[in-house]
Amino acid sequence: MSRFKDLQKNLFGGTTSNARQFGMIFTLVAIVLLFQFLTDGLTLRSDNLIALFQQNSYILILAIGMLMVIVAGHIDLSVGSIAAFAGILVAKSMTEWDLPWPLAILFGLAIGAAIGAWQGFWVAYIGVPAFIVTLAGMLIFRGGNQFIGNANTIPVPEGFRVIGSGFLPEVGPNTGYNNLTLLLGLAACLAVIWREVQARRTRHEMDADAGPMWVSILRMAVMVGVLAFVALRFASGRVGTSFPVSGIILVALVILYSFYTRNTAGGRHIYAVGGNSRAAELSGVKLKRVNFFVMMNMSVLAALAGMIFVARSAASGPQDGNGWELDAIAAVFIGGAAVAGGIGTISGSIVGGLVMAVLNNGLQLQGVGTDRVQIIKGLVLLLAVALDVYNKSQGRFSVIGSIMRPFRREAPATPASSAAEREPAKTSVSG
Amino acid sequence: MRTFFAKTVAIGAISMLALTACGGGRDEETGGSDAPAKGFAANSLIGVALPAKTSENWVLAGDLFTNGLKEAGFTSDVQYAGASTTVADQQAQITAMVTKGAKVIVIGATDAAQLSTQVAAAHQAGAKVIAYDRLITNTPDLDYYVAFDNFKVGQLQGQALLDGMKAKKPTGPWTIELFSGSPDDNNAGVFFNGAMDVLKPAIDKGDVVVGSKQTEVKQTAIQGWKAEGAQARMDQLLTSTYGSKELDGVLSPNDTLARAIITSIKGAGKKVPVVTGQDSEVESIKSIMAGEQYMTINKDTRTLVKETINMVKALQAGNAPQVNDQKSYNNGSKVVDTFLLPPVAVTKANAAEAYANDPKLAPLTKA
Repeated sequence: MSRFKDLQKNLFGGTTSNARQFGMIFTLVAIVLLFQFLTDGLTLRSDNLIALFQQNSYILILAIGMLMVIVAGHIDLSVGSIAAFAGILVAKSMTEWDLPWPLAILFGLAIGAAIGAWQGFWVAYIGVPAFIVTLAGMLIFRGGNQFIGNANTIPVPEGFRVIGSGFLPEVGPNTGYNNLTLLLGLAACLAVIWREVQARRTRHEMDADAGPMWVSILRMAVMVGVLAFVALRFASGRVGTSFPVSGIILVALVILYSFYTRNTAGGRHIYAVGGNSRAAELSGVKLKRVNFFVMMNMSVLAALAGMIFVARSAASGPQDGNGWELDAIAAVFIGGAAVAGGIGTISGSIVGGLVMAVLNNGLQLQGVGTDRVQIIKGLVLLLAVALDVYNKSQGRFSVIGSIMRPFRREAPATPASSAAEREPAKTSVSG
Repeated sequence: MRTFFAKTVAIGAISMLALTACGGGRDEETGGSDAPAKGFAANSLIGVALPAKTSENWVLAGDLFTNGLKEAGFTSDVQYAGASTTVADQQAQITAMVTKGAKVIVIGATDAAQLSTQVAAAHQAGAKVIAYDRLITNTPDLDYYVAFDNFKVGQLQGQALLDGMKAKKPTGPWTIELFSGSPDDNNAGVFFNGAMDVLKPAIDKGDVVVGSKQTEVKQTAIQGWKAEGAQARMDQLLTSTYGSKELDGVLSPNDTLARAIITSIKGAGKKVPVVTGQDSEVESIKSIMAGEQYMTINKDTRTLVKETINMVKALQAGNAPQVNDQKSYNNGSKVVDTFLLPPVAVTKANAAEAYANDPKLAPLTKA
């Protein structure tokens, strides 16, 4: 194989379902660079990156839960209303019942879990379609928000605001950077290197083709380079700012849920149910439990997203959560999930969400009005999914996938070697 | 494996170093160090963040800001919040303006209590923040507030309601209904309290009766200033209370709601009572000239925008902008320096005079 083909095959792994995701990553990079150029460098300035994460962390957190719901073959329309409902209760619990804010967060998560159990019960055990259950939930909890809040805006105390607009403290010597952010960046770089080394070692032990050394090194260099760049950007903002707390919550959740959906039996069951629920059930997957879990999990994440938004806004208001479900669903589909379920990854959804976020932010920096921004976002969503549908109708592989097909045939037993994005080959149910 | 590891670490370290070298530490210049109150460049960026385009007034204000700031030599960025995710949109827009280095940010808030984080960020970046028309609450970082005297607006509405009813039916008691604006808009309560300041004595004396007995702000509030909300509430009031009774007057906080209320009353086949309004919207002026809506308030957006731009000009020159009220507007964190403009009550009788120099409304009053 030539070096170019090596690169194609090994840099990001070569499975078809991943192809569009990587298309999306390149799109994201292209959009970032485009706006970086159009806004004279404002896009990648540290304060803008920090704002970008703070503004979108709650949508991206919703996208994590929504991905799992959509992979399982459902949809959740109630997330915005649940977020608003949990938000108003948490705000009230702190201002009127004087609950300390850490307890209030737990209280909020408990509300999310209770609502989730309610919706999960109807979906999993009664068999009402999730579309209907969550449409009802959308009305019930929006009404609940207005009933409890009297459509008022209720401010929240300073301590609570940390989860939405807080930053890491400044500790250690004055390096001209936020030290904790630098440490986080360093930890991320080491983790990437460690994973690559581990992956290669496992390959060697299994006598599998580990791919050329230089591809591994190139991949690591790219990832470490990007991580270092991002860490330095976040660390070099105004004194008192750092990588935002809401961003840390997001990253922690992404790592946790990526591991869960990729590497655990419970996570793979979600894909099995979404791919073919009858077959999954006959193979011993506990269908009801999986459906109950994804619905309940979504509501807990919605409550968390609601609290983060309230914390960032410093108050819970009657407009909270309006239209969030659509942003989350759009992120998931742009990120490569299939409308029919069974296909999609957490990282893809995050990339999809970031594409929307960067687009939004870049257009706003350009001074483009919300009317035109909405038109552009709508077109991007339509084109991204249309591309997928078209590619499928052309024989179930995408443009990028077709380029890569010869190599897959050449080494059919080789699982994709990307550490970051692959689905395990042995349980793969994706088309 | 060892050489592999060593190579990787080396590449990582080199790229880290390279980035550090060109990154160059914290960007101190955005840290608010440009504070020596000497104004700023005459062509600086001025950000204007307005709510969603739900009333003619905001659209007009946006156009006036765009043109006015351009005439004054500034670069302007005028943004409206989107129709569905209004608060989040406005938060993002204000943040973008701060990032772009706006020197003054004028905010017509969608939700007056949910912007304190963004206002704080603007303040830290050295931008001045002016609350336009709606007072932003719970933030010590708001610099100025410019608005019409809204308590006065309420008082004028209350007085006009009484006068109008007396003119139609010389002796009481008169039956009225009360409407107020969106509960998340700080002004809605101020209008209502102003009106009640005038109406309360009459209600207590028994001259004026609230037919439905709904006199609390919460009972009378219309979420989001939405016309359909007011129409629905009026429909329900007519069904529940005015099957046989006559309704003499309705206190409506603005024109959009006033027209919705009149639509509802006409739909029920009732005689149109005395209905108040505010904002001098085109349709309402037509309605007043046709003898349906009784009054509106002229809060000339031109004057308000002009005053706001005057403030921006003063800040640009490094002077303190003119204010005329430094004690009444407490936003929960501090008393905000305010410039108040006087509103004018307009009925059919004085419409021609009130809108004489308004190119859009003047022709309507001729007929």
